[in-house]
Amino acid sequence: MSIDDREPPARRLFLRRIGGASGAALATPALLAGLAASPSSAQSTLSSEAGKSVRSSYLSLGPQEAACVEALVNVMCPADAITPNGVDCGLHIYIDRQLAGAWGRGDQLYRQGPWHPGKPQHGYQSPLTPEQHFKAGIAVLRREAQHRTSKAIEQLEAGPLDALLQEIAAGRLDDERYALGAWFNDFLYPLFVQACFADPMYGGNRDKTFWRVVGFPGLPAFHGRNVVQFRGRPFPGASKPQSIEDFS
Amino acid sequence: MTHKLPKRSVVFVGGGLTAGLAARQMMSSGIDVLVLERGGDLAGSAAATLPNQRDELRWGVRNGLVQNWANETYTLRHALDESALPVRRMEAFLPGDGMGGAANHWNGQTWRWAEYDPALRTRLESRYGRAAIPREMTVQDWGISYAEMEPYHDLFEQLFGIAGQAGNIAGKLVEGGNPFEAPRKRGFPQQPLEILESGQIFKTAAQSLGYKPFPLPAANSPRAYTNPDGASLAPCQYCGHCERFICEANAKASPAVLLYPMLQKQRNFEIRLHSQVTGIIYDKQAKRVTAVKFIDLQTAEEYEQPADVVVLSGFTMTNTRLLLTSGIGRPYDPKTGKGAVGKNFCYQVMSSVPVFFKDRFINPFMASGASQMVVDEFNGDNFDHAGLGFLGGGYIYSNVTNGRPINARLHPAGTPRWGSAWKQANADWYSHAFNVSVHGSNYPHRENFLDLDPTYRDAYGSPLLRMTFNFHDNDHRMSEYVTNKAAGIARAMGATAVGAPQPRRGDFDARQYQTTHTTGGTIMGADPSTSVVSPRLQHWDAQNLFVVGASVYAHNAGYNPTGPLAAMALRLGDDLVRYARQPRML
Repeated sequence: MSIDDREPPARRLFLRRIGGASGAALATPALLAGLAASPSSAQSTLSSEAGKSVRSSYLSLGPQEAACVEALVNVMCPADAITPNGVDCGLHIYIDRQLAGAWGRGDQLYRQGPWHPGKPQHGYQSPLTPEQHFKAGIAVLRREAQHRTSKAIEQLEAGPLDALLQEIAAGRLDDERYALGAWFNDFLYPLFVQACFADPMYGGNRDKTFWRVVGFPGLPAFHGRNVVQFRGRPFPGASKPQSIEDFS
Repeated sequence: MTHKLPKRSVVFVGGGLTAGLAARQMMSSGIDVLVLERGGDLAGSAAATLPNQRDELRWGVRNGLVQNWANETYTLRHALDESALPVRRMEAFLPGDGMGGAANHWNGQTWRWAEYDPALRTRLESRYGRAAIPREMTVQDWGISYAEMEPYHDLFEQLFGIAGQAGNIAGKLVEGGNPFEAPRKRGFPQQPLEILESGQIFKTAAQSLGYKPFPLPAANSPRAYTNPDGASLAPCQYCGHCERFICEANAKASPAVLLYPMLQKQRNFEIRLHSQVTGIIYDKQAKRVTAVKFIDLQTAEEYEQPADVVVLSGFTMTNTRLLLTSGIGRPYDPKTGKGAVGKNFCYQVMSSVPVFFKDRFINPFMASGASQMVVDEFNGDNFDHAGLGFLGGGYIYSNVTNGRPINARLHPAGTPRWGSAWKQANADWYSHAFNVSVHGSNYPHRENFLDLDPTYRDAYGSPLLRMTFNFHDNDHRMSEYVTNKAAGIARAMGATAVGAPQPRRGDFDARQYQTTHTTGGTIMGADPSTSVVSPRLQHWDAQNLFVVGASVYAHNAGYNPTGPLAAMALRLGDDLVRYARQPRML
């Protein structure tokens, strides 16, 4: 199956346009939250700085969840000299698609009870599907942010939001009811890293940005000769990586 | 309703490496062989073809080729007084699913173990005295010698085109090879893989310390290779997609490439795919097994397959579980030490030291699963343990098997976990760093064992296998010591930065991959009271039942387990021919 089967050209065009949009539109989904007509269609209209109307469609995340995730990926991957911001890299799309897909639904996860919390070394023990577990954590995160700052996550400036995430990762917002630190470290963080470095066909790592940044050449990876010719030397292909889509 | 099938001669449970090798030895005899495999044939699938073979997320992170944990997993407790919980998505080790088994997605690192390994207790007692072996360390001899297995090691290396540098030919040490190698009759059939930049750096540093580095023996074919059966391997592309992946280039020696296509052309061989074995029917009075029960996963029909001989050739955990669920043999009791099924369950103890080179290009994406340089000075009993407070060890190596970017990135200490500085660190170090790693042993402990979980069941209604397992003092001390030796090599590299050594500490963690090398549970030995199968792999309580694989290892060395289990599988094939002609305790 090629990427074209999964995603109509119009949508791909839209993704590219999003790629050029500014992160200034970040908060929009939250502002629209009260207006969202259909809770499950999860389509929202947002305006870019240029005043052009671009559409963002989510498969799993609702408008408030989406606004939160967009804010998170933009703080964890800020626009700088290295990459565009997280939304422009498609990191939010990656997370949404994983939640909506087989993984988010608990594919290949043993899901028989009885259920007990276990030790960290037992790994995931929640009766929730990964998608539900992700959303439960987002809800706690939103509540904590509101409680501590009187603002929604997406209304926080980058500095305070980053500081909040550091606190969460260190487990300092854990309470008796919920280990937000474990949720962040074991659940959100791996999704963030995957969003950056997985093949772009999954929605993140748009335009192979992260592969180019680190110098991972991607496909086809026929290095039988390169392994000798470029041993200990820069590999030219590292600056122009190719993905599965490029070979589909 | 269970359908009863016509009787077959030899039925293998599990269609991976060991069944393929044993069946290969039996083909010329004309003996009828049936292999039952729960998975399908992956040839031509997305996993085995470009471009989707190169999908790190699907195969490397989500483990698309391994056992489906929704159907069957293992429960875990760290100690006898704890309750076990199911590991709902196992990351620590990766059993396979499908024709070829875990050998579809292995890295290709292929060792003969040390000459003393099959007689480890004898070796340790003679060197350090009986009192030097802690009471809870239940090491025991295997009832075989390396010398009797040597011809089968040699045959396996020829069949799989193993690439390496001999270190010990018939007792004569060979420069450039492993000076601790068990004596081999002849060299490897192929010259070693190319040495990577990381390997060159490792080699120079190790030599400067007086060690003898050598290339890790590899099942990743450096050149086109045709084996004695006329089956071929293509040259390795150093694409960095070996472990957790199927080699789409047919360059990684695997049963699905070298054995099953040839076997499937034989009139006396059949592999029945999508066949989930649920039990072995055992006649306790007659001390014989009579049939195998399985579900055809394509139709959901249940079958009973009568057999003259049954061979358990599944993954370590599967072999053990089938004996327990079928009530064959006496389960091990850690309190009394009596019984043997489930005993001496072992894993391995990995650790690493990261090194960073500002001006050197490591290019980790150009690598094969076994293109590393190694020193064996601190493995097993290759060094004097007197006064060290532990037994065992590990090999130390330049650990570059791939540069798949989701997981293969190293950062210097103090790097933030996100943000601009994190991105900059990825840009700075992705191509300029690698781990000096330790592949360490895990000797058996009295309280590390396998039995049936009292609560949790698999998708077919059978109890899950329960792991009672943890690392103990010996493991932590070994890891501390050998990791410090690795750090010594790391510091001799002239690196820009050497990360803090990270010896293995704390409890066994199901979330962290170390190796797929779980061993034990159906251990072999010369004494029926302390082992499950005989030195010829024949069950002590059912002479027409054989067990093969790492489940018969009485301990786990610091080496990868494929070599000895492959040699034993080839010998088993010859033994099954002898047994079929004259059934008896061999």
